[in-house]
Amino acid sequence: MNMGFVLPSTSRESKDVDVAIIGGGPAGLSAGIYATRAGLNAIIIDKGNAGGLAEDAPFVENYLGFEGLKGEELAKKFKEHALKYVEISEKNEVTEIKKEDDRFILKAERGDYTAKAIIFATGTTHKSLGVPGEKELFGKGVSYCVTCDGYFFRGKKVAVIGGGNSGAIAAIYLKDLGVDPVIIEYKNQIMCENAYKKIIEEKGIKYITNAMVTEFKGKEKVEKVIYKDRENGETKEIPVEGIFVYVGLVPISDLAKKIGVDTDDRGYIRVSQKMRTNVERIYAAGDVTGTAGQIIIAAGQGAVAALSAYEDLMLK
Amino acid sequence: MGYIQDKDKEYLKGEFDKNMKEEVKLLVFTGPNCQYCNVASAIAQEVAELHEKINFEEFSIDSEEAKIYNVEHVPTVIITDGDKYGGRIRYVGLPSGYEFSSMIEDIMDVSRRHADVSDEVMAQLDMIDKPVKIQVFVTPTCPYCPRAVRTAHRFALLNENITGEMVEAVEFPDWANKWNVMSVPHILINEDVQFIGAYPDEQYIKYVVEAWKKMQ
Repeated sequence: MNMGFVLPSTSRESKDVDVAIIGGGPAGLSAGIYATRAGLNAIIIDKGNAGGLAEDAPFVENYLGFEGLKGEELAKKFKEHALKYVEISEKNEVTEIKKEDDRFILKAERGDYTAKAIIFATGTTHKSLGVPGEKELFGKGVSYCVTCDGYFFRGKKVAVIGGGNSGAIAAIYLKDLGVDPVIIEYKNQIMCENAYKKIIEEKGIKYITNAMVTEFKGKEKVEKVIYKDRENGETKEIPVEGIFVYVGLVPISDLAKKIGVDTDDRGYIRVSQKMRTNVERIYAAGDVTGTAGQIIIAAGQGAVAALSAYEDLMLK
Repeated sequence: MGYIQDKDKEYLKGEFDKNMKEEVKLLVFTGPNCQYCNVASAIAQEVAELHEKINFEEFSIDSEEAKIYNVEHVPTVIITDGDKYGGRIRYVGLPSGYEFSSMIEDIMDVSRRHADVSDEVMAQLDMIDKPVKIQVFVTPTCPYCPRAVRTAHRFALLNENITGEMVEAVEFPDWANKWNVMSVPHILINEDVQFIGAYPDEQYIKYVVEAWKKMQ
């Protein structure tokens, strides 16, 4: 039985560090290891549990060295490894960043931190679809997290909106829990990797393509999902009791923007090849930079960001 | 072999050695026809064995203690100093998965007889002068849930009128259904004010104050 993570102490603290890493997903954890090993005094601050969105992944099969394991297990290994080097302050949301002289002052829930450099490894969060009924029925059948809420739909029919890899994995996870999922994809072809396509077929999960979801309907709870068949323009509906939305991700970059960090028009932080942003001694790594949304890439970028911070702080 | 892996035990031991100050009681209430009672009891026992200041006790749902602590469901795990915290920091259902870490953090907070919040949040907590019960419905595989549970428990530690109760929704489906729990963490205050999500203290306390004001 997996008893979950073991967390460090969460007492209130204030610290002066070389580099503050905001976000404890694969990018932040990797940055923490590299920064500390390089000789920098670092802290990782995460608003929830370290692990990031990797924790939400029911199964990971493309991380080098691990043929297949649950996202939470991989995240646990990452965290255990990082804890050997660096302090991780969890359930600690950074709410404000100011610059005073050559120091950044970070105001967070559990204390204030001063840092010479910041690495934004803040990642992404699930995007909402933006159709009528979505907000109103959130928590009443609309969900963005299968590992959190899948249980409540055992024996029931649900829709998974979005047929990319995360939608496909979500549907497979639901099916294994005893839920009856149907995938609804906007594009006119199957959008997940072949490996998932095969499992979906084997498990008999229905995958509808070329369908534009237009509305979630229900009074007290979700009752049906409405979509337009993009081939013939017909409006169709499927009675469901739950709707899981997996239509992509949005970057968490508001804090970075406030301190002058440049982002693209979708909000992803612009970085150089060395993970430097336009603001001196501020770096970004992982999903918030808008690259592939892959754990292995995030971890690699975290390492690069930490090494750049080391270069800028110690070698200049 | 126990439920907690050896290397996790090693880590926990280190954390307890660093952070344990005063005695803590881990009270586990068990009863018949209870799928997870044995596991809850075994886990609590294994945790207690890691530090001399953690004391494990098991009681039956029919016991006098169950009445004293208002225990109605099994398994229930209460973390207390046996005095001023009474049964106000509690888990109904198995504190497994992500909630295991909440239990460990609670033990350390109870041991130092304190929890941390900002001055602004403390000022609002100080207003609560009537009993307020915060129930947090969770699933063990929800990474966002421990934050909501820990906030309820930290508030309970800091104000004697507040009870913080985690409810494992998968183990108690009828209870979860009664409150239409379909997304977790689902927070229910005084069986009246409800919200969904893991919010920072500053937002969380507003709901607690709202529920308290309704009692005036």
